[in-house]
Amino acid sequence: MLADRLRRLPIATRMLVSALVLVVLVLPAAGSLLSWNFREAVNTAFNERLESLLNVVIAGVSYDIHQDALVTNRQLGDSRFDRVFSGWYWQVRDDGQRVLTSRSLWDQRLAVSQEPDMAFRTIAGPRGKQLRLLERDIRLPNLNDVLHVQVAASLDEVDAQVARFQTLLWLSLATLGGLLIVLIGLQIRWGLAPLRRIEQSLKAVEQGRQPSVETDLPRELARLADATNTVLERDQRLMERGRTAAGNLAHALKTPVAVLGTLAERLPREQKAAMQAELKRLDEAIRHHLARASAAGPVTLGAEQKVTTVLAPVIEGVQRLAGRRGLVFQSDLQEGLQVRIDAQDLQEIVGNLLENAINWAKGCISLTGTVEGGWLVLSVSDDGPGMSPETREQALSRGGKLDETRSGSGLGLSIVTELAALHGGDLRLGESTLGGLHAEVVLPLTHLRSGR
Amino acid sequence: MKILLVEDDEPLALGLASSLQDAGLLVEIAGDGRTADFMISTERYDAVILDLGLPDGNGAQWLSGWREQGIELPILILTARERWSDKAAGFSAGADDYVTKPFETAEILFRLRALVRRAHGHAHPVIRVGDICLDTHSAQVTRAGMPVSLTAQELRLLSHLVHAAPRVVSRAELTEHVYDGDTEPDSNVIDVQVSRLRRKLGSQSIETLRGQGYRMVTDTSEES
Repeated sequence: MLADRLRRLPIATRMLVSALVLVVLVLPAAGSLLSWNFREAVNTAFNERLESLLNVVIAGVSYDIHQDALVTNRQLGDSRFDRVFSGWYWQVRDDGQRVLTSRSLWDQRLAVSQEPDMAFRTIAGPRGKQLRLLERDIRLPNLNDVLHVQVAASLDEVDAQVARFQTLLWLSLATLGGLLIVLIGLQIRWGLAPLRRIEQSLKAVEQGRQPSVETDLPRELARLADATNTVLERDQRLMERGRTAAGNLAHALKTPVAVLGTLAERLPREQKAAMQAELKRLDEAIRHHLARASAAGPVTLGAEQKVTTVLAPVIEGVQRLAGRRGLVFQSDLQEGLQVRIDAQDLQEIVGNLLENAINWAKGCISLTGTVEGGWLVLSVSDDGPGMSPETREQALSRGGKLDETRSGSGLGLSIVTELAALHGGDLRLGESTLGGLHAEVVLPLTHLRSGR
Repeated sequence: MKILLVEDDEPLALGLASSLQDAGLLVEIAGDGRTADFMISTERYDAVILDLGLPDGNGAQWLSGWREQGIELPILILTARERWSDKAAGFSAGADDYVTKPFETAEILFRLRALVRRAHGHAHPVIRVGDICLDTHSAQVTRAGMPVSLTAQELRLLSHLVHAAPRVVSRAELTEHVYDGDTEPDSNVIDVQVSRLRRKLGSQSIETLRGQGYRMVTDTSEES
């Protein structure tokens, strides 16, 4: 199910999804790595600074024997050590009462570690601030006690720097991501433009604006378009060849049957009737199967046809025929009717209906064409004798023939039924307001999908 | 009624021709379009039966050629091709009616007679001239409601006069339409047959116009 759906995912969606994965997963990962590295670098720099400050403090401290106190003769050059509770502190003390601190530490004192070596640690300083503290134990020449020298600084600065960097980083990455998505979108558009062109070209072929698919395309697609055109041409050629073959076969078979028919007319009555019945069966089988063989059926890539244009020759012919037979033929096709159906199939459907009507009508026949809710409705009426409900049913069945004395009647209707069904439509028979038969063919306006 | 049958299949042409001759028609056969073209330009026919599949080109092409030359003969198409795309081509070339193969001779006769009748301006299958009625379908002649029996040749002669009525029909026209091309009759034969017809239909039914020909008389109410 999911695999099926994935396989049918549009190319544009695939590319967009992969691009989004890149932007959503890879960019944040890169961001995190950068951010971590930056924090490390800032920490190292901070520690080095503490170390050098510690060295300055150590270099400046001395023991005043007269006052029995620690003194310093160096300024650290950073005013923050003078500002009270600025977060930057230093302190020198021994294990007894001697203690010297930066002014910033005011009355507070930093805890002393018992570890002998220089080490960094994090402690809670005045006002609950997190401090990083570096401590080293030294000895002064004229003092026996070990001095614990400490420099501490608030981690706020590190945090602030990292935060500033991160803000900048994420902002840049977000901008980059947005830019990437836009660029990828453009890339997809540009990259898929030939596909869209071939799609539009197919549509043009479907609508009959172009005879074949455009081949002025990138190499990969040009081959596909060429292949499609070859298939289209082959399709057309096969259809034409099939029809020509069916026509030739009809000619080849029917002429001898006609000869037999004329010969049969000279036979004694009983033999003549038997012979003619067999010839009729032969003729019906030929007509039925050739009509089927010549039908194109639903077309997957056919042009939409203007109904009035397709039917014009049939209507003209029937008009002439009706005139010669003293009938009035009225044709009323709604303007602008379009249907995707093989032109000859449509001619065959309407021609057979009209032929049937002409063979039965006393004075007039009519043809109307309208669209009703997605269906093309073609109706043929006559003022002939009409049909009883039972005869209608019989007429719709395969090869149902109603009147043996009139050629073309009955079989024509069953051919129409088959053609209509082939195109997903239907033939209905009823009573006409003219008094005779009302035959109505409905054809779906959109039966493009194959596999019907 | 004189018919040209254009059909390349010889057995079919001969079979159909003899069936039509049995029904009292004069039939001449052309085996291809070229011959038909020549015969149409030299002889007079009442109608043409044209097969669409000819050895020298499509029958529809010959047909449209004749129509372009202004030949208005009724033309009945005979075709084995059932499809409407083929039939429509025949009609747009100028066909008047069609019959598909295989056919029954009765149907061809029916179509031919209707075409010829209409070509002469008669809509109804029964043509009435005075008290004489000709049923063009059944080839029955009645005089004042009573059936009259005629020979095939007499029927052809009368039929042509009745179709043409009230026009005067010349001897030459009768010779062309009623008699076989091979057995050219002398004027005496026509005179004899006309007088036989007069005997059967009443002496006033057909009048002779000296130097012009014959004509059906339309008002023969005071006949013996």
